[in-house]
Amino acid sequence: MLIPRFEYHKPSTLKEACEIKGKFKGKAQLLAGGTDIIPNMKKRIILPDSLISLNGISELKSNSVSGKNRCARIGACATVSSLIRGKFLLPYSALLTGLESLGSPLIRNMATIGGNLATARPAADLSPSLIAYKGKAILCSVAGKREVSLDDFFLGPGKTILNDDEILAEIILDELPACTGSGYIKLGTRKALEISLVNVAAVIALEKPDGVIAGARIVMGAVGPIPLRATTAENLLMGEKPSDGLFAEAGKAAAEDSRPIDDFRGSAEYRRDMVRVITVRALQKALHDIR
Amino acid sequence: MTQYHTINSRAPRIDAPDKASGKAQFIDDLNMSDQLHGAILQSPLAHARIVKIDTSRARKLPGVKAVVTAEDAGLVQYGVSPARYDETLFCHDKVRYIGDEIAAVAAVDRETALAAVSLIDVEYEELPLLLSVEEAMKEGAPLIHEDYPGNICAEVHQEFGDVEAALAECDIVRTDTFMNKMQNCAFLEPQGCIGHYDHRGYLTLYSSTQTPHYVQRTVAMTLKMPIGKVRVVKPYVGGGFGAKASANAMEMVACLLSMKTGKPVKMVFTREQVFLQARGRHKFVHTLTTGAKKDGTVVALKHNCILEGGAYASFGIATVYYAGSLLGGPYKLQHMKYDAYRVYTNKPACGAQRGHGGVIARAAWEQQLDVIAEELGMDPVEFRFKNMMNNGDTSCNDLYMSSFGMRECVEAVRDKSGWERKRGTLPRGKGIGMACGFFVSGAGFPIYRSETFHCTATVKLSEDGGAAHLYTASAEIGQGSDTTFAMITAEALGVPLNAVKVSSGDTDFGVDLGAYSSRQTLMTGFAVKHAAEDAKRQVLEVLADKLRISVSDIDVKDGTVIFKGPGITFRTIRNRYRKEHRGWTDMPDDAPLSFAEAARLAFIVKGTVIGQGEYRPRWLGGKFKGAAVGTSPAYGCSAQVVELRVDMETGQITIDNMTDAHDCGFAINRTSVEGQMQGSLLMGLGEALFEEVKFDQKGRMLNPNFGEYKIPTALDMPNVTPIIVESNEPYGPYGAKEVGEGAIMPTIPAILNALYDATGIRFHELPLTPERVYKAIKEKQCEAKAERGRK
Repeated sequence: MLIPRFEYHKPSTLKEACEIKGKFKGKAQLLAGGTDIIPNMKKRIILPDSLISLNGISELKSNSVSGKNRCARIGACATVSSLIRGKFLLPYSALLTGLESLGSPLIRNMATIGGNLATARPAADLSPSLIAYKGKAILCSVAGKREVSLDDFFLGPGKTILNDDEILAEIILDELPACTGSGYIKLGTRKALEISLVNVAAVIALEKPDGVIAGARIVMGAVGPIPLRATTAENLLMGEKPSDGLFAEAGKAAAEDSRPIDDFRGSAEYRRDMVRVITVRALQKALHDIR
Repeated sequence: MTQYHTINSRAPRIDAPDKASGKAQFIDDLNMSDQLHGAILQSPLAHARIVKIDTSRARKLPGVKAVVTAEDAGLVQYGVSPARYDETLFCHDKVRYIGDEIAAVAAVDRETALAAVSLIDVEYEELPLLLSVEEAMKEGAPLIHEDYPGNICAEVHQEFGDVEAALAECDIVRTDTFMNKMQNCAFLEPQGCIGHYDHRGYLTLYSSTQTPHYVQRTVAMTLKMPIGKVRVVKPYVGGGFGAKASANAMEMVACLLSMKTGKPVKMVFTREQVFLQARGRHKFVHTLTTGAKKDGTVVALKHNCILEGGAYASFGIATVYYAGSLLGGPYKLQHMKYDAYRVYTNKPACGAQRGHGGVIARAAWEQQLDVIAEELGMDPVEFRFKNMMNNGDTSCNDLYMSSFGMRECVEAVRDKSGWERKRGTLPRGKGIGMACGFFVSGAGFPIYRSETFHCTATVKLSEDGGAAHLYTASAEIGQGSDTTFAMITAEALGVPLNAVKVSSGDTDFGVDLGAYSSRQTLMTGFAVKHAAEDAKRQVLEVLADKLRISVSDIDVKDGTVIFKGPGITFRTIRNRYRKEHRGWTDMPDDAPLSFAEAARLAFIVKGTVIGQGEYRPRWLGGKFKGAAVGTSPAYGCSAQVVELRVDMETGQITIDNMTDAHDCGFAINRTSVEGQMQGSLLMGLGEALFEEVKFDQKGRMLNPNFGEYKIPTALDMPNVTPIIVESNEPYGPYGAKEVGEGAIMPTIPAILNALYDATGIRFHELPLTPERVYKAIKEKQCEAKAERGRK
């Protein structure tokens, strides 16, 4: 199928991009890697009047680790493969696993981290871990910038808190505290080019080496309209010493926290059971990641 | 043993440099300077009466050159087998599936053509949907085709021996039902074509097809043209696997639009259209009752099968026969009864796909045989040794195994896989399983009733003598047939491979039924060998005459003439050649006489040397109805061992190892044979684990793309150990027979048998998705728990 006609804009600054986006209101869509929007335009699911390419804006591609708390700042247009190659995300192993399991090498060369968030697909590979790390997003508009927690970023499938004139510019991850580890597990039918049937990212922090759990965040993908926090499971972990039994309980609690639906890819029942299984595995991975 | 110069080697593919560098031309690369672009209006409804078609708005759109409907195309019925012509070029009274063709447009560009299609107004009256075999076979169900009561497209009832009596004598009788899902051939290159009707009234169709010959006949018939004025040319093709083995509506539409406009018309399917065109594997439901004796002898098979066919017959009438006849081997089975129905539904038509008709039957039966072996306490390998056919055996349904390396295949995979060491020793969650299979090496009869040669081949020697040019209408579709035939030409002629040019895939080059039913290596190869030998004979006769010796005293090897006797002087021939080629840098002096010199001499004496060859199978098969389906001049066979792991908590299967042996008779190109084995295994793996075309309640396809219709990726494919077995087929060229489809036969059942070894569970439904496997594991755990509770 052919891509329907559209107007094409290629601004060279973020400010200019915000202006264009504001001008067209909801009728313009952003083009970053294009791995989501181009197929959807071909299928006529999304029919924007205008596409605003973000590929001429160098500030959206720059990454840095800076500040006194050594936080990682990731440009929204950084491609998935560039983030895998850049070593600065090594401590964030759940995110790295998500990056490596996204699509195929060709898709990873095109797809961007910002696109993966802003398209707000419930099964996206990067949002669970970014939420689990308490990631923040910098949203830019003509009026200025605002910083939001990724916890509050998603509203529903394809829906985010981004206003018509706003552009996701940057993702910020704080430096992980000591004794913190993370893990991400994606469950699909085949081993690549796969949409998650279920995915789970877990981050746990121990009070001290071999101590009790002082922080736990579990985020589940593809089992709700947006990535879901498994809050019951998180609460259950807090203050406890990690053990197989504890993780099994957390898995069960996470399954209860999930809200999967039946669709042609799989049943709700299977997805709920898999949340239980892979939450345990993500927690084990996170624990292993600490040691 | 015969020493060969070219065949049986690992010669690089002759098309490899062009394909690797992107120079090879596929249909999408071809364009003509004044071409128009076509687009087809396809039905959005799965079953509806057409009340009115209004094309007036489309005709008015600037840039539109022609709009055609059934009124323009006529209502000539076509299909694959003349016994079931049930399609017309466009729907005129009703639509039968989402995707059925209603009208088409030619316009100055694709965008305009698509826009015009959207301006065609069709008024429908919706009819009840029949989306399953159960609904379609229900008493009083509406008819999808008026001529086929009960929505039965075809039925088969055959019995060989006396099955009921034989089953009554058996020590063990077992019945199982097994099913798969509708599949897509999932080749990489979508179908595409350019139809070009020229000013003299000749029609040329360039098309991505497996069968130029059948397409030529169908196009000529539907468009009411003399067959001699229709030429079909096949550029390079990116796979077919069965779905491109017959004419599709787009090919005829492009030709019709070209006839209307006088300009070439190009059309290429989107991936969604590839899925709607479908013509891949049917959904089969097999119920098998097998009886065996205590000593392991398999005696009788009672087989019922229902095939969901979709809206049209396509290859289905052959499929429904193959699904039964291909269980006639590779085991000695005296009694076999087969009752089957192919049923119409309001879905895209199913057709032939690699291993035509036999793959799911084979999966079902090889798994059941393992169950029987287990109940009898026999090792699956021993059980198969006990029952397998040998060279020279004929099956109860008259299939004759003129060469049959079945035992060698089983021994090879047993030994290479470490079967004896691993079997029964793997921990829960890991499994090893094996299975066998066999397949035809070319259908014994063309799809239409005819005494035609199945192929012809022409080898023309260049007038200078230095090169041979093979012309064949056979279809290189990615499998490597051009290379195979170049190698056969080189060997038979006695020249190096690089002295052979190949032109193929053009109906102007002769008759060849094409690339389906694993026929080309044996059949086309046979014709090519004869054509090359004919050319060589003509050269040698002239040479012998000039030298006053006998033809039997001369041979040609690797471009050089070999004299068997001593003291033969060819000075005069050489001098003549040297005088002709004064100034050339490759002038022979003391070297032996070259074939080029001899061939040049032959040209000077008698004109252009053209060798001809043709092939037609000997009369095959029995006298019963449907005996033609399953007959073949030869049968390939194969055995496979699969090792896998199951994640018992998620149901995910990982295939760790595949050891595969295939008896291809004789490998013309060893690398190509292994390539076909690898490809078959990959396809079988996908069908076993992932592949299913899914529909919603309106008959809309839910996954017509490679994101959601899951074929295996490189990461899903394990390392394969391919083992070539060569049984020397007496009816094949140099002893060669098939490998293209037979190799897929054991894959699915070997996976099923390994899965049982890993989990203790028998699965009777494909695909083996993580969810299906997980549910079965969970159910079994619940049962075990309940069992413990009762105790």
